[in-house]
Amino acid sequence: MRSAPPQPAISVPPAPPTPSAPGWRGSLRKRLRKLGSSASKHLVLIVLSCVFGLPLIWMISTSFKTAGQALQLPVVWWPHPFLWSNYPQLFAALPIWRFFLNTFVYAAVTIVGVLISSSLVAYGFSRLKWPGRDALFYVMLMTMILPFICTLIPLFVMYKRFGWIGGYLPLEVPTFFGSSVFSTFLLRQFFMTIPQSLSEAARIDGASEFFIYSRIILPLAKPAMATVILFQFIYCWNDYLGPLIYISNQNSYPLSLGLDLILGDYTTNWAWVMAGATAATAPIVILFFLTQRTFIQGIALTGTKG
Amino acid sequence: MQMTTRAAIPAFRSPGARRLWLGLLFVSPWIIGFCGFYLYPFFATLYYSFTSFTGIGNPTFTGLANFDALIHDATFRTALFNTFYYTVIEVPFSTIGALGLAMLLNMNVRGQAFYRTLFYIPSIVPVVASSLIFVWIFQPSFGVVNALLADVHINGPAWFFSITWSKPTFILLGLWGMGQPMVIYLAALQGVPKEMYEVAALEGAGPWQRLRYVTLPMISPIILFNVILSLVLSIQYFTQAQVIETPPGSPGNSTMFYVTYYYQQAFQYLHLGYASAMAFLLFVLVLIVTVVLLKTSSRWVYYENEER
Repeated sequence: MRSAPPQPAISVPPAPPTPSAPGWRGSLRKRLRKLGSSASKHLVLIVLSCVFGLPLIWMISTSFKTAGQALQLPVVWWPHPFLWSNYPQLFAALPIWRFFLNTFVYAAVTIVGVLISSSLVAYGFSRLKWPGRDALFYVMLMTMILPFICTLIPLFVMYKRFGWIGGYLPLEVPTFFGSSVFSTFLLRQFFMTIPQSLSEAARIDGASEFFIYSRIILPLAKPAMATVILFQFIYCWNDYLGPLIYISNQNSYPLSLGLDLILGDYTTNWAWVMAGATAATAPIVILFFLTQRTFIQGIALTGTKG
Repeated sequence: MQMTTRAAIPAFRSPGARRLWLGLLFVSPWIIGFCGFYLYPFFATLYYSFTSFTGIGNPTFTGLANFDALIHDATFRTALFNTFYYTVIEVPFSTIGALGLAMLLNMNVRGQAFYRTLFYIPSIVPVVASSLIFVWIFQPSFGVVNALLADVHINGPAWFFSITWSKPTFILLGLWGMGQPMVIYLAALQGVPKEMYEVAALEGAGPWQRLRYVTLPMISPIILFNVILSLVLSIQYFTQAQVIETPPGSPGNSTMFYVTYYYQQAFQYLHLGYASAMAFLLFVLVLIVTVVLLKTSSRWVYYENEER
């Protein structure tokens, strides 16, 4: 974690078999070397795994401790007694279920917005040819590097005039207008992999462009849509900044702001704080395990054809 | 019926114009969003930056007063420095670290999927949760890190609550999430054709040469894309510091990042004009960084189909 993973990594690529191994002695040496390099690879990986895994293990472990044991030194790795009650107590002390529900509604609405607007826009940027298309597409990509604070104050003033402050509308409405550049980009990349001949055949048969979009391309793009849903869900689950700016009533808090409350209110009980962190993390990690393939596909889609 | 109305509008007569209208129709949600949520507020920010404005009533024009005040604002300079510090260390480390991890995992190691998952998971932990976890493990007196350090007779610092160590600790928190770029690089590495390595090996290229002349050039466009995005994101570093430090910016302004200070000026003191000036300067900064990277990229980024 402190430094970049050591370089020996690179010195052992999957070497193609060289036909020049001179006798068994050489091949033995080679095997030993291979064994050694593979052992050193695994050593590096195991050490790094510990470093990456430690915070999560410590979070889970602490969440099952008594308040006193959490502070005990030398550190106790395995909670003793193994206390489940931190979770029900925390859920009783704070409206955590309410926070979950708020987060789900926020995610659901924006997922609908992103699916509709990003797919339409992505279609226009990939399946149709028109003058100025690529220039406009670059303008859209450029908005990704615009710092959010460059638009924040006027937006806040505008939403205030609309009477939207305090609710989720400032976070939800823009998603119906293609605000998720990432999703649009991902869908466009996917749409471009669909052969144009499909659209052309439909056009010859007299299909309207909207028909082609909704009946031919969208059904084919289901995997990409799944990825968009997944990433948008995670985005909302994570989003702290948006709610921090616009949501003021504790009853409307999403999970992120609710978690922040735990730290403010219960710093004396780290077991509770970690129970809250675990409760917020577990669903997303489980979701990741259930949808790993969609995840990896999505990343490959944005990554490799960037 | 429809056909006749369309033919009546001259713009629809030529197929080119028709294609243009159709394209614009499909991207119109974004065009409306772009005008309403980007273009208008961006120019409004630019306008506010020349005014004194509290959100109530109308902004009063004050010329360059905000920018003049910014130059003389010591806290502003600290915030700029802190953000610079974070960016200049976190981005290279996480880029090289993620690349290294990806290359390590790309070498047919047994259990690749397991390690990949393990390194990736921290990056999907909700940001508030990961902030809480780090406050806890780096807690000065009871945290597990200092306990482990004490085992080897090192007196651990106060981490998030130490003026010298607060920023490095935030950097460690950032590096914990390097699984995100790692997965992207891994996908890119797996996209490099195997034959290129075979040819390079036949030509007698060693591992270093293969890295230098095959791997890095092939994935350089993705490196560029990722570096730009992570630079832009870390210049806007805010959330973790806001969650962890109370009051934000403490101890002793050592975690007063650019956006932290902006947020304070805008939403605590309602110095909306002043904050807008800060926002505009940040835009200029991000623009310069991006343009410089893109301009110099032609020297180190290789595009496969560049024969044009």
